[in-house]
Amino acid sequence: MSTGDTEPTALPWEGQAYSVKRFGISISNCDSEPVQTPGCIQGHGALLVLRPGDLCIVQTSENTAELLGHAPLDLLNQPLHQVLGAENAALVAAFLQREPVECNPLYVLTHPARGDAAPLDVTVHTVDGAVLMEFEATARQPNSEQDYYGLIKHSVARLQGTLTLQALGNAATAEIRTLTGLDRVMIHKFHTDGHGEIVAESCRLDLPSWVGQHYPAQDIPEPARAVFRQIWIRPVREIGAPLAELVPLAHPQTGRALTMTYCVLRAPSVMYTEYLQNMGVTACLTLAIRRGDTLWGLITCHHYTGAASLPYGLRAACELLAQIVSLQHESAEQREHLAYRLRLEDVHRQLVTEAAKNSGLQALVEASPTLLDGIDASGAALFHNERWWCVGLTPSATALTALTGWLREHPDFQSPTRPIVATDSLMRDYPEGAALVGVASGLLAFALARDFRSMVLWFRPEVIRTIEWRGDPHYEAKVFGSHGHRLTPRHSFALFTESVRGCSAPWKEVEIEAALRFRMVVMELIVSRAGQLAELNADLLRSNEELDAFAYVASHDLKEPLRGIYKYAHQLAEDAALSAPENRHRVDGLMRLTLRMDSLLDSLLHFSRVGRVALQPEEIDLNEVVKEALEMVDARRSERPVEIEIPRELPPARCDRVRVREVFVNLLSNAFKYNDQPLIHVEIGYIAAEDRASGLAWPVIAADHMIYYVKDNGIGIHAHHQEQVFKMFKRLHGRDEFGGGTGAGLTIVKKLVERHGGVVWISSEPGQGSTFYFSLPSIGAI
Amino acid sequence: MPTIEDLPMCVLVEDSDEDADTFNDALRQSGVKAELRRVCSGDACMALLREAGPRLPALIVMDLNTLGMDGREALRLIKSDLTLMAIPLVVFSTSANPRDLEFCYGAGANAYQVKPMRYLDHVRAMSDLLDYWLTRVALPGYERLPS
Repeated sequence: MSTGDTEPTALPWEGQAYSVKRFGISISNCDSEPVQTPGCIQGHGALLVLRPGDLCIVQTSENTAELLGHAPLDLLNQPLHQVLGAENAALVAAFLQREPVECNPLYVLTHPARGDAAPLDVTVHTVDGAVLMEFEATARQPNSEQDYYGLIKHSVARLQGTLTLQALGNAATAEIRTLTGLDRVMIHKFHTDGHGEIVAESCRLDLPSWVGQHYPAQDIPEPARAVFRQIWIRPVREIGAPLAELVPLAHPQTGRALTMTYCVLRAPSVMYTEYLQNMGVTACLTLAIRRGDTLWGLITCHHYTGAASLPYGLRAACELLAQIVSLQHESAEQREHLAYRLRLEDVHRQLVTEAAKNSGLQALVEASPTLLDGIDASGAALFHNERWWCVGLTPSATALTALTGWLREHPDFQSPTRPIVATDSLMRDYPEGAALVGVASGLLAFALARDFRSMVLWFRPEVIRTIEWRGDPHYEAKVFGSHGHRLTPRHSFALFTESVRGCSAPWKEVEIEAALRFRMVVMELIVSRAGQLAELNADLLRSNEELDAFAYVASHDLKEPLRGIYKYAHQLAEDAALSAPENRHRVDGLMRLTLRMDSLLDSLLHFSRVGRVALQPEEIDLNEVVKEALEMVDARRSERPVEIEIPRELPPARCDRVRVREVFVNLLSNAFKYNDQPLIHVEIGYIAAEDRASGLAWPVIAADHMIYYVKDNGIGIHAHHQEQVFKMFKRLHGRDEFGGGTGAGLTIVKKLVERHGGVVWISSEPGQGSTFYFSLPSIGAI
Repeated sequence: MPTIEDLPMCVLVEDSDEDADTFNDALRQSGVKAELRRVCSGDACMALLREAGPRLPALIVMDLNTLGMDGREALRLIKSDLTLMAIPLVVFSTSANPRDLEFCYGAGANAYQVKPMRYLDHVRAMSDLLDYWLTRVALPGYERLPS
């Protein structure tokens, strides 16, 4: 097992055949290691490379003397029967003719013991125009053939009994561990970004579990993955055991390195060996989990207690299990996807039902279930009616609003076919997202309308925060190889965290599709809501007309008998027999009440008309309107002197002249009426836009409205009456105090201002006078 | 002494007995000489006008909301009938609804009076109306009686 005269620190193997044994130490990059042509085999077995046709030996492993009783140089260019004897050589020749051995190592016979050498199982396969014949110690005992078929039959039954991915993983690892007796069996899943995760495991009870561990894609480099897209099984009997190099290293005719992809004895890569040794692994077995042509993941088995004997029969059983796991896995995953999809549909249907019932989209985040009960996310937000509704962990409203600015410009958001933004790293495209990684590394968002005025967003935090990482001592390096700390799980995790910084778990296709379907139903809800509104409007119109008819009937049909009552009362009053003072008083009361009822009916009628009559807005000089109003209320002025103050000219407004005059008439007549001062002082003015932010608790005014006011030095209104004064027929004073009145004036004022889109409010204190503010659209407002 | 045939005929379309009564009071107080014919509905008014033959009323005073065919319909029929359209027609209604005013003047009503609530105002309004239409203005088909 000489390494020859080649320099161990030689330059990489350019221009010559590679041997892991000779050049392995020079490897510095996993992805450059020629793992499929290591030029060496594991030293516990032997390899013969035969020429097809005459089965002449063209290459051998350097250890044939110990295992086969012939030195390599004695075998080269010799026929196969030199090693196997004529009978078995003929058997092999016939087997190669008969069996599908291309890229498929098959057991052909057991080479009997010779002298000190043990009996050896022989497997053959062909690849690249060469026949590879492998010899390894047999596990076959003449009378106790292991019943692998019987064992695997039970394993398969157990795998098929599982319903979920997790249960399948648990069952598969347990079955393989029972079958192989290895210390730890794990299922690795490769995520879409290539990084790996241990998702299921069965291990010796005294070992710590590694389930849930993540590691970077580089830990299982691409060359290794490529191998597992071609083979199902990869055993390494003993990590660090001596390797046997090929003699000659390159094919004597072609000069090419031997393709050993399918070779069971193939020497492990130098990086892989060091990585495993650093973890204290002494033997291992790796199986592929494939989904069609893609490698979904691996089943890896670690042994920590010496070499692991994995004879042909056992390997075949494991290979079959790996294939069954691959198939079962796909159907279990589909089943889980289906279950998840159905759950999403169900939750989303409930959400929409709730929103439809509660007449508001905010039900999506406020009722139960919420947006978070569907798609797996840690936070969700709804932008609707100019405000945010959030549930779970979300960025602040300010950050959300800033984020929507970016969203609106996102091409995916406006896609006609798939209008949804799904990213697992917001900060990758949106720099401000770096501040949000803790709550919003992942974003799934769609708008409910073309104008983006309503949108729904889901958030996922940085994946690092969702991974449980235990700094377990068992995961610490046991020893360090020539690459130092680099090939250790600890270092792997550090690399991994770096690679996924600012990334969330990716959005699954099933989630994106569910979100798109959800968007459709919510939009349908909005459309049907619009339909309902239209119907409601039609109903309102109808009931408005009915109210009109009612008011008319009230005016006529109620007034007619009232007039009759008044007339009879009048006639009674004139009757001499009733001239007794107390009767006279009662009949006067009857007439007075009749007249009051009449004016109430008039007010009611007027109010109903005020609400319905179409406004005729135009640019109005309010100074003229005020002048007219003052003339109109002149008759109602009290006998006390009145002082009107208009500090500055009023700006024009866009309004209905007659209606706004009525507003001023009502406010002015109230100002005169509810006043006990010897000199009645009334001020009419406006609040300039720049004076609005004066800290007063004012209601929200449209930006294009101007605030006007009428201020008096009258009796004032107590705070708890200030809302009531606007109610129909609500009077705060006795019937005959302050000149009476029906109590409809301020109700009409409120109605008229509101019909202009404005707001009315009071600032007043008893004894301190009152100020009535109201807003009207300024010029330029539409 | 003029016979009843010589007196101008005033037709009152009014379904309220109280208001018809007040109208009578007004007629009496006004001192206007007229033959009053009261009907309670638009239909009755139309029937009366058709039976009246050549002797047409000098004045029709009409409430709008009456039994059966209402005053609006009767107004429309009268003012679109060539033989009747010259008869002065005064609407006397509780309603001050601008829509009613527009309709009535539009349909050819000669005046529109809103009924006052107070009895005395009511009587005065009516007697003023009667005095104006039956004694002051010139009417077609009637010689002014010596007062």
